[in-house]
Amino acid sequence: MTDPIIETHDLTRVFDGVRALDRVSLSVPRGTVLGLLGHNGAGKTTLVNILATLLPPTSGTARVAGLDVVARSRDVRARIGLTGQFAAVEEQLSGMDNLVLVAKLLGARSAQARRRADELLERFELTSAAHRRVRTYSGGMRRRLDLAVSLVGRPDVIFLDEPSTGLDPASRIELWRIVAELVTEGATVLLTTQYLEEADRLADTITVLAGGSVVATGTSAELKSVVGKRSVHLTLTTAADVDAAAAGLRGLGMQVHTDAARATVSTPVDAASDLAVVMRFLDEARIEFKELDLTEPTLDDVYLSLTADRAKAEVRG
Amino acid sequence: MNAETWRGCGAPRQIAVLTVWCLRTLVSDRRVVVFSVLQPLIMLVLFTQVFGAVANPANFPPGVSYVDYLLPAVLVTTGIGPAVAAGASLVREMDRGALTRFRAMPLGLHWVLLARSLSDMSRVGVQSVVLLASGALLFGFTAHGGVLGSVAALLVALLVIWTLMWIFIAFAAWLRSPEIMQSIGFVLVFPLMFASSAFVPVANLPGWLQVVATVNPMTYAVNAARHLSMGEPVGTSVLLAITTSVGLLAVAGFLAARGFRRPLTR
Repeated sequence: MTDPIIETHDLTRVFDGVRALDRVSLSVPRGTVLGLLGHNGAGKTTLVNILATLLPPTSGTARVAGLDVVARSRDVRARIGLTGQFAAVEEQLSGMDNLVLVAKLLGARSAQARRRADELLERFELTSAAHRRVRTYSGGMRRRLDLAVSLVGRPDVIFLDEPSTGLDPASRIELWRIVAELVTEGATVLLTTQYLEEADRLADTITVLAGGSVVATGTSAELKSVVGKRSVHLTLTTAADVDAAAAGLRGLGMQVHTDAARATVSTPVDAASDLAVVMRFLDEARIEFKELDLTEPTLDDVYLSLTADRAKAEVRG
Repeated sequence: MNAETWRGCGAPRQIAVLTVWCLRTLVSDRRVVVFSVLQPLIMLVLFTQVFGAVANPANFPPGVSYVDYLLPAVLVTTGIGPAVAAGASLVREMDRGALTRFRAMPLGLHWVLLARSLSDMSRVGVQSVVLLASGALLFGFTAHGGVLGSVAALLVALLVIWTLMWIFIAFAAWLRSPEIMQSIGFVLVFPLMFASSAFVPVANLPGWLQVVATVNPMTYAVNAARHLSMGEPVGTSVLLAITTSVGLLAVAGFLAARGFRRPLTR
């Protein structure tokens, strides 16, 4: 057992009376990837901002690389790399200039800085654009440069806040490859995402946040087994029926996930009897479907079920 | 994690690298460079022609022309624009780009502000030199106080502008709203510039405006620059300009650093 490289205890942040983060305790072992999964407003960015020393917690403690993020903020900053939701690079300068200047700010000599910049440009496939102004870069190139700049000082811990938001599928897969590589080199990665597939692909451990609290933590397999349900996915013949189907199934006490654009309705089912309930309902309501799939639980279902439980608990008070 | 792991550097190096960073960003836009050089020329043309047409030669000692009287003042007033702009650009850039990255790096955030102000001041310095040179070559400006007097006037002007710049940086760091910064700019710029001794001797202003001009720090700056440039006895004007400037600079610098360090919420 190695010491955890990120550790928080009852971390809480209140904004104008709203608990953006509510007694979050977590622990991340060195060299692993923690995926923070949650909706917008679940507290993911607030947590990252506290760990990256950008925001002080209202109460609770957080340590990164064994250092308290409030008392030793400067030392923490020397050991982390942060890639936020918006590219933190200088648009007026070239990719090369951005990398070299950051390396120098971290204490590299000119020759070292240039060597490190070349190395990162090559690795992120930006060599041909090295001397172009960042202003002229595409979204994907900008994101890659932003990540490259975060890695200049070879940080022990890398925070990626929704790294693939706004990326096209090819860039996203490329990003996943890079993250996997960083971990094999010994870095610890904490990434936030709304994409369950991303957490499933990259994270060793997934922590699900909802309303500022941790609602579940585990490997993706563990989370799925907690829910332990299979799901029915229906593709309806007419998209207009989606709302009626969802309302009807909810009325039967089921959790329902819909996608109106694709005319799909999904619901977790416990046993074969549940499936029969769904079929009977559709028949009685005269809702026709084109396809029916019964699938093993995905993280979507896990997430849906966990956050729905929480919503119910909140209603009960 | 072998050989090259960098954990940060000392303040002098941070300031040097950050200043180079800001300067490169500044000159990367050639339009900014061109307009920076044009601006003082335009001001000088306008002021000498417009006010020169009504300026009463009886107000000036023999051998002193209006441009001799005006140029040291323009040396001070050209800096008001860049000072306001420094605050406006800080607000605009605070929550994006490189300024957000610096917050998560092992840096003194106050050095980031210092570097920005130094790079903006180098632009003001270039403008001032353009102003002095073109004044002498094209507008018949005579430095009665000699080169030394002009250099001294330039230095006082730069100090005062730097102070004003930090006041706007402090406003920006605390208020963080482009709209409010713009309003402050509008409200302050014209009184600072015109309700002063810059264009007309204070004694010739209406009574109430004389009061305003007397409390306007720009008046002290302009008087000091003017006395030095025209080779007149400086009296207490230089001392007054420097001490008020340094005092305000210390307060504004402290407040700016404090304000800027506050987190970008969310």
